[in-house]
Amino acid sequence: MSVLRKSASLLLLAVIALAPAVLSAQQRYYTRDAKVYFDATNKNSPERVDATSKSGTLVIDAASGRVESAVLVKGFLFEKALMQEHFNENYMESSKFPKATFKGQITDASKVSFNKDGVYKTEIAGDLSIHGVSKPVKTTATITVKGGKISASTNFNVGLADYGIDIPSLVADKLAKEARLTIDANLEPMK
Amino acid sequence: MKLFRIVATLVLVWSASPNLRAQDDLLGLLGDEKVKEPVVASFKGTRLINFHTLEVPGRRTLDFRISHRFGAFNSGWYDFFGLDGGASIRLGLEYSYDGRLEVGIGRTSYEKMLDGFLKYRLLRQMSGGGSPVSVTLFSSMFYTMQKDPDKAVNGFDKYAQATNRMSFAHQVIIGRKFSDRFSLQIAPVYIHYNLVDRISDKNDAVVVAAATRFKVTKRSAITLEYGWRATQYSREKYYDSLGVGWDIETGGHVFQLFVTNSFGLLENQYFTHTTNQWSNMGIRLGFNISRVFTL
Repeated sequence: MSVLRKSASLLLLAVIALAPAVLSAQQRYYTRDAKVYFDATNKNSPERVDATSKSGTLVIDAASGRVESAVLVKGFLFEKALMQEHFNENYMESSKFPKATFKGQITDASKVSFNKDGVYKTEIAGDLSIHGVSKPVKTTATITVKGGKISASTNFNVGLADYGIDIPSLVADKLAKEARLTIDANLEPMK
Repeated sequence: MKLFRIVATLVLVWSASPNLRAQDDLLGLLGDEKVKEPVVASFKGTRLINFHTLEVPGRRTLDFRISHRFGAFNSGWYDFFGLDGGASIRLGLEYSYDGRLEVGIGRTSYEKMLDGFLKYRLLRQMSGGGSPVSVTLFSSMFYTMQKDPDKAVNGFDKYAQATNRMSFAHQVIIGRKFSDRFSLQIAPVYIHYNLVDRISDKNDAVVVAAATRFKVTKRSAITLEYGWRATQYSREKYYDSLGVGWDIETGGHVFQLFVTNSFGLLENQYFTHTTNQWSNMGIRLGFNISRVFTL
């Protein structure tokens, strides 16, 4: 009897102890290969200034709605190798500031149920840190849940001057004052 | 004992739960990423002044180069300090498909020299572990299209055999970008002439070439290059090649303006056959223009 009771209480304890681990496994979603694209082409420029990185990281905490994302500046691939070099050397100074990060919050996270199919339009606010400068940003994001698969996408405009990125007058006709940043991610549950 | 077991189980399970770790750092949950990246832009272009740098054009990049050297300053007022004429010019087309192997051809007015070269980026300097230096291999072949000027006097054509027109240069360029501003490279150079001018001249020469740049602003830099002739290959009076310059970068162009005591534009000319010296102002103004196209 006492053996039974003891093993029952042990089981109960184990369940209690395990619960957060199991729950949290359901709570977080991540990716290491988010597609991050930006376009800073000036309206009338024939030369495109755009690049893509396919190795952005993104983590969403479903319960709290917290979102964190990072991308390596050197991971952006341009069509023109020289433009890529200038992007790293003169504009982003990627040896000094290797990463761009976003840390924020889905402000209406309660709207999203990660285990029910649907397309959720949400709002995100947080701090975007580029070129060593951190600024609050606000934008909308779309979170799509379909058959247990979760994807997220968002875009926002980044004013280059806000992040201390100088545009020399020589390239002012090629380079827009704001870059449009687009992020597409397919997330997996974190184990 | 049983209590101990329960506590042990609890501790084990809790510590395995990701909930307890890095509560404030979601990205930290993805684990430490060691960032290992190649160091870019050690120099502004594939040439510093005359010397090749460790750089190779990026992938799918065609580099069209115009190199120009005026006459010497010590030619005085009459030749307007060398600007009047007697310039030497090289036009070159250089291409890299993968950003590692470069193929180039060019034609230089001085000595009517045709050149073709291969340049290969063997090793890249990495940040965050990996190679501390970049290593680039360079191999070039030169072919002069001159007529033998002494044919009538000597009674024979020294270029009767085409191989007599050829010379070669090989170098291993080892360099490092020490900081965003400062880069330095050293290159042992081996030069071979199939035919030399005088009977006492040697066919082979070894030169040690050093080149450095210091960035003044984001888009301009001061450059310096020096080639030390390590072997005695001729009794003629030749001098080490020394150049000081200024790099300016403007989008798709790199413009290099400098003074150097070398008139020739190719390895078999400036490393070994520089006939002017700095001490009597035998230096000249020169410029290189590089325009790149993505193909």
